[in-house]
Amino acid sequence: MKTLSLKNLRKTYFDPYAGSQVTAVHDVSLDVEQGEFVSVVGPSGCGKTTILNMIAGFIPYTGDEILIDGNLVKGPGPDRGVVFQSFALFPWKTVLENVGFGPKMRGVPKDERDRTAREYLALAGLSHAADRYPNELSGGMQQRVGVVRALANNPAVLLMDEPFASVDAQTRMTLQEELTRIWQERKPTVIFITHDVAEAVFLANRVVVLSKGRVLDQIKVDLPRPRVWDHLIEDETFKRLSAQVLQMVRAA
Amino acid sequence: MNIALRFWSGYVRTTHRWPIIATIVPFIPVVAIWSIVANSGMFPRAFFPAPVDVMRSFISLTYKGILPDYLQDSLIRLLFGATIGVALGIPLGILIGSSRLAHRICWPVLLFFQAIGDIAWLPILLIWFGFGLTTMTFVIVYTVLFPIVLSTVLGVQSVHRDLARAAQSLGASPMRVLWEVTLPGALPNIITGLRNGLGYGWRALIAVEIIVGTSGIGFMMFDARRAGSTVEILLGMIVLGTLWYIVDAWILAPIERATGQRWGLVTS
Ligand SMILES: Nc1ncnc2c1ncn2[C@@H]1O[C@H](COP(=O)(O)OP(=O)(O)O)[C@@H](O)[C@H]1O
Ligand SMILES: [Mg+2]
Repeated sequence: MKTLSLKNLRKTYFDPYAGSQVTAVHDVSLDVEQGEFVSVVGPSGCGKTTILNMIAGFIPYTGDEILIDGNLVKGPGPDRGVVFQSFALFPWKTVLENVGFGPKMRGVPKDERDRTAREYLALAGLSHAADRYPNELSGGMQQRVGVVRALANNPAVLLMDEPFASVDAQTRMTLQEELTRIWQERKPTVIFITHDVAEAVFLANRVVVLSKGRVLDQIKVDLPRPRVWDHLIEDETFKRLSAQVLQMVRAA
Repeated sequence: MNIALRFWSGYVRTTHRWPIIATIVPFIPVVAIWSIVANSGMFPRAFFPAPVDVMRSFISLTYKGILPDYLQDSLIRLLFGATIGVALGIPLGILIGSSRLAHRICWPVLLFFQAIGDIAWLPILLIWFGFGLTTMTFVIVYTVLFPIVLSTVLGVQSVHRDLARAAQSLGASPMRVLWEVTLPGALPNIITGLRNGLGYGWRALIAVEIIVGTSGIGFMMFDARRAGSTVEILLGMIVLGTLWYIVDAWILAPIERATGQRWGLVTS
């Protein structure tokens, strides 16, 4: 069952100052199965964010179609959960209210959505922070909230645009390990965008290499799970795959 | 030296427990100097009254009910005008802040009208509406409106785009995005605008009451001028300053601080 399907996606921006067109995405087709974890990796400016924003419905797309569970995308919707690099937590809501926001929009009564939110906070080891405000949390904790807020709404696809790029290196590794653990427990369908090759390989079942608005190649990642940096950092397969992807990205 | 330090320490601790003392103490030398000058015989008392005279006038006008009545009239006018100003200003600010087209169209016009001071409208307003409540309300609404619109625009624009996107992706309709994201995100700025607007409105109201009023604090001061009562003029000025200080420092400023700080939108 294909959860996400992109057909000949294109995007051209008009620059009103230069009076010219900039093609960010040339022709991208991609199918993602239910429960797959797909990393999209490529150098800065290759159109990753543009593709994600089109899938999320934040910007209008051109090209043939974007289908989620067979339905055409027309603007943002709760079937696509988004995790932002900027975290995008609501500063005036507690952690619990942030996580319960999706269910609230669906009209779920307060007791029930609080229960759901607490369940997801426990999944991310955040039960103790339920009543705090986002600005009282570290960056790593904020992004944990960002991830479970999207998950708690049960989206068909989870879209993540460089979500760990603005936390420190140690925290980033922990977050990556936690994300693989959560993925194993819940098996959400994930599109994870990054420019970090090791991160892409570490997390994914499949790595899509993007270059100048085109899909350059795709690589299956059959590393065993659970994935832990202490093991993988010395793992031959991991090293070989990372080197392979890195070469493609650098040649791109 | 030691005694001075001990005194200072005592003062700091006392004012920490009763902040109102810190507000009053700086006025003691002001009132003292005023009292000395008035009693020195440099000027005739009717020309330059002493604090006691003003106090006596305050008690007698309060007792007669004139001062409370006038104060009430002024405050109701301000509240009435401010309510209309808020009701117009916040939606207008949200529209201009969230639509680029509306911003392009409205912004220059807004700045133009802001540049025409409130009082500059009086001549034409007097011809159109005459000496009365409509003219006064117009001026207050006009004065209150701009700070609120400008701050609301700023507030709406300061809300990170990702917040609205996050809400949409969690299933929020445009109305819910407005209610759950845009308004709370803009609230600290809106309150700043309201605080400024009320301050300007209060000053404008007094000016208008002086010109077109038949009651109110501004009218009282102008009427006192006609009667040559310097005491009542000074009393009016002191009432204006005191009242605004209380409203601003004890009500508006704490609200402003509370909203921004709690959410980490404003630091310190
Ligand atoms: N709103 C925009 N207007 C004009 N050009 C844009 C806009 N957004 C992105 N671009 C251009 O499109 C290209 C791809 O950008 P982006 O999708 O952000 O890449 P990435 O996320 O891979 O770094 C870049 O050349 C960028 O300058
Ligand atoms: Mg990007």
